[in-house]
Amino acid sequence: MDLPVIETPVAPRWVWMEEVTYSHIPIATLITAFLVLAPIFEYIGYRLKDDRYDRLARSMVFFCMILYSPGAALGTGIPMFIIGLWPEFWSRWANLFFWPLVIQFIFFLLDVFFLFFCYYLPWDRMKDRKRLHIFFGVMTAVFGILIQLVWDSLGSYMSTPSVPLPAVNEPVAWSAAAFFNPGFPFLFFHRFFGNISYTMLLTGGVFAIKYLRQKNPSEKAYYGFVTDFTFTIGFITIFFMPFIGWGFAKILQQNSPVIFHSIMGGHASRYFIFKMGLIAFMLLFAGGYLFARHRNRFIIGLMTGGIISTYLVLHWHPALDWLPGGVTAWRATYTVIIIAFFVFLWVMNRGGLYDRTLWRWAMFVTGLAAFFAFALGGFTRSRARQPYNVYEQLVKVEVLPHEEDRFFLYKKCIRCHHKSPKDLERYEPKDWQNRVEIERKRPGADIDEKEAERIIKYLEEYY
Amino acid sequence: MDHIEFPVLGAKWAIGSIALFHTAVASLAIGLAFFVTVAQIVGYIRKERKYDLLAKKIQLIHVCIYNIGTINAIGLVFLLSGLFPQFWSQIFVQFYWSLIVEEFLFFLLAATLTFHYFFWDHLWGHKKLHIFLGALLTPLFFLQFYIINGIAGFMLTPGFGEAEASLSTGVLGWDRFGFYNPSFMMLNFHRVFANVAYGSFCAAGLCGIFLYFAKREKIKAFYEDGGLLAFQIAFAAFLSLPLVGYFYAHILKYNANEAYVNLMWGRGDITAGGVDWWWLKHICVAAMLGICLAFFRKMSKKQTVFTIPSIMVYSIAIFYLMFYVAMGMVMTWAFFWFMLLFCLGGALLGGHLIRYHQGSGRGVYLLVAILSFATVMLGGYSREAARPRFEDRIAHYDKVFIPEYRQRYLMVDIDPQDLPVVTALVEETGPESLIRERCVGCHTLDRVKKYPLDNWTVVVRQMEAYGLKLTNQESRQIIDHLKSQSPY
Repeated sequence: MDLPVIETPVAPRWVWMEEVTYSHIPIATLITAFLVLAPIFEYIGYRLKDDRYDRLARSMVFFCMILYSPGAALGTGIPMFIIGLWPEFWSRWANLFFWPLVIQFIFFLLDVFFLFFCYYLPWDRMKDRKRLHIFFGVMTAVFGILIQLVWDSLGSYMSTPSVPLPAVNEPVAWSAAAFFNPGFPFLFFHRFFGNISYTMLLTGGVFAIKYLRQKNPSEKAYYGFVTDFTFTIGFITIFFMPFIGWGFAKILQQNSPVIFHSIMGGHASRYFIFKMGLIAFMLLFAGGYLFARHRNRFIIGLMTGGIISTYLVLHWHPALDWLPGGVTAWRATYTVIIIAFFVFLWVMNRGGLYDRTLWRWAMFVTGLAAFFAFALGGFTRSRARQPYNVYEQLVKVEVLPHEEDRFFLYKKCIRCHHKSPKDLERYEPKDWQNRVEIERKRPGADIDEKEAERIIKYLEEYY
Repeated sequence: MDHIEFPVLGAKWAIGSIALFHTAVASLAIGLAFFVTVAQIVGYIRKERKYDLLAKKIQLIHVCIYNIGTINAIGLVFLLSGLFPQFWSQIFVQFYWSLIVEEFLFFLLAATLTFHYFFWDHLWGHKKLHIFLGALLTPLFFLQFYIINGIAGFMLTPGFGEAEASLSTGVLGWDRFGFYNPSFMMLNFHRVFANVAYGSFCAAGLCGIFLYFAKREKIKAFYEDGGLLAFQIAFAAFLSLPLVGYFYAHILKYNANEAYVNLMWGRGDITAGGVDWWWLKHICVAAMLGICLAFFRKMSKKQTVFTIPSIMVYSIAIFYLMFYVAMGMVMTWAFFWFMLLFCLGGALLGGHLIRYHQGSGRGVYLLVAILSFATVMLGGYSREAARPRFEDRIAHYDKVFIPEYRQRYLMVDIDPQDLPVVTALVEETGPESLIRERCVGCHTLDRVKKYPLDNWTVVVRQMEAYGLKLTNQESRQIIDHLKSQSPY
């Protein structure tokens, strides 16, 4: 299909798109997470008759009010950019999801209505009708989550499309199969808990700095309290992530294997590894702080559960290909790391280290690491999908020949051998001509002459 | 199925309702921003806190309305791309960069507005900076709808026939000739003044509502003064509208004749449901005028801070009377009498409301705000309804007009054979179009049709004596056609 495409100045179109998207998503996710947590905190304050929770909830909603307009304005920019820069994608995608988009707009209106007119503005006037006020807060949160739900479904369809993308002149408008695509629940829960985790860690980090700057003792006490509270929630929520992430990866492996391989050792793996590094950093500092800070059994029990679950995930995870020594070395490594972590916790437990200024700054840096880890997740997924807008349905306009060849190689070779793309680097000797000729004769291999030539050319150039 | 159907409402009304709602909300936001700045400046100069407090209160309402408008804009984008894909695609081919600049301004506005309201108290010691921030909103808003008006004006008066003239630019996503179309400037002027009037009337209306609930004398005086300030600003902007509207109509007559005829003589969707919606809009305007004149006549006798002298009130009345006489000449005299009647009715009602509320403007503020809202909605509807309808909502991009010259910039894997052939617009010729175009310059066609005698040669000569410019050949064509009693 021939479609008009806009050329962008200065930077390629994907840079423009990422720029707009990454300015909107952090704002939108932060608002969604804050609006989910605010009525919960308010309810806790109401039950415990503790004003600190109410103050925290209100300050979070106030922050959402500040961010709402710029976030929404940036949000309108996203479809505008897509329509111009990827017109075929937008036409076909909007053809498939017209009604979810319209319903999402209605959710948005309801969200604004509840947030502005029922929740934030009458906060003081409803102080004697707290239950009704909390109910309005819950309604705001529900519509916020519903908006996220719709976008997660539409976003996950791009990675795991369950029905073909309709043609430009084929307005389907609604497809249950497309909406409830295999990746949808995993992406939704991954983002839901991810949002809460990163926003709370970041909020805790910011409160830690505010705590340092307070001179008034009562204010200092308040900021000390909210730092602990939010940071703890952020840290505990993160332990849901390995399980959801594991399930998401499994779904990708089954439904979009090339995306899976791209992340697990392929061209997108560097982003993923960097993200994991940030998470490890986050776990180390946040875990150390909380272990030393909270001596009650509940928190220690939760942390123990989290560490055990992390250990299990590492146990199920195949050995890292860049680690020499295979499975044994891999298991020894993560066991040593976890033991070292215990030692670290033990050291932290002594001498009240957590109360030092340096640790408050460490909390702030941990919050930033959480934010960047979150942002890198979306970036990794979109990089892994290259060269497709919608996996195996629609190729990007700006696709480069080597990206198409790489996808082809992953699909034809890696998928069959169940190996990581990194294995190709280690393979010796590099006699790709012979190797491909041998492999394509194996039963089940479906590679014709032309395709073989394409694969060999790519292997010779890049491996 | 070629395109998506919208249940119950249908595609046209779905877009129409959301677009009108957006217009009402967005226009209000623009007007409120202007009022807030004026109120802040007045408060600062006069060192009266009450104006600053009122500005803050109105700005909070503005923030709420702005967010609703933003969300609504998202809905409009989704609905347009799904329900009118061909139109939307065409707009993107021609105006993509305009829309992106618009988005950038949108973000700047949102950030400035948020900062201005939520940091009101924090910036108390930097009042000039704070007022400057608030004042920034108005030019940003104007810039934003400058862009939207380029596109909206193009839809009514495309100028160089479907932007064919823009071939020479060769730039994708930016159609200079389409953007600076004939009605662009007049639409800008019209909307600038109308939005300021509408927003300020609504600010006064809000003061009116608060007055109904206020019990303490101090609070009442606060809203009374605030309402008066808003009402004055609104009325000043409102006064310019007949002049701008007159020239806007003039542009339409020559560049969108069908829309002009539909508006002036109630054809097509203008009279949907058996009601002439454009007349109804003018009835609201006339009533507003009458109420305002009665209000300011009463106020001119009072020693208040903001007053308009009586002589100015009567001058305005005469100015408007002249406008309605001119409209009566162009349209029908029934229009003139109707407007006069509603203006007088409005004046009587305005006087009654002031007496009933013992000198308080609350009733007037509220009523005029409602009428102002109705005017904006009806005006928006009339402009859209005047334009010929979409014949069909063709699927995405299939028949998007892309000039051949620009194809190599625009397309991916182009096959020119598949593109539809675009033909230039054919201008109407012959005596029928001569009569329709020339005679309506001074009077309605009804007057021609109702003329009882057959002395057309004398009549046409008379008209030429009055200033009608015709060549001998054109004059003969018109006379022959009128004598033959053929339709026109």
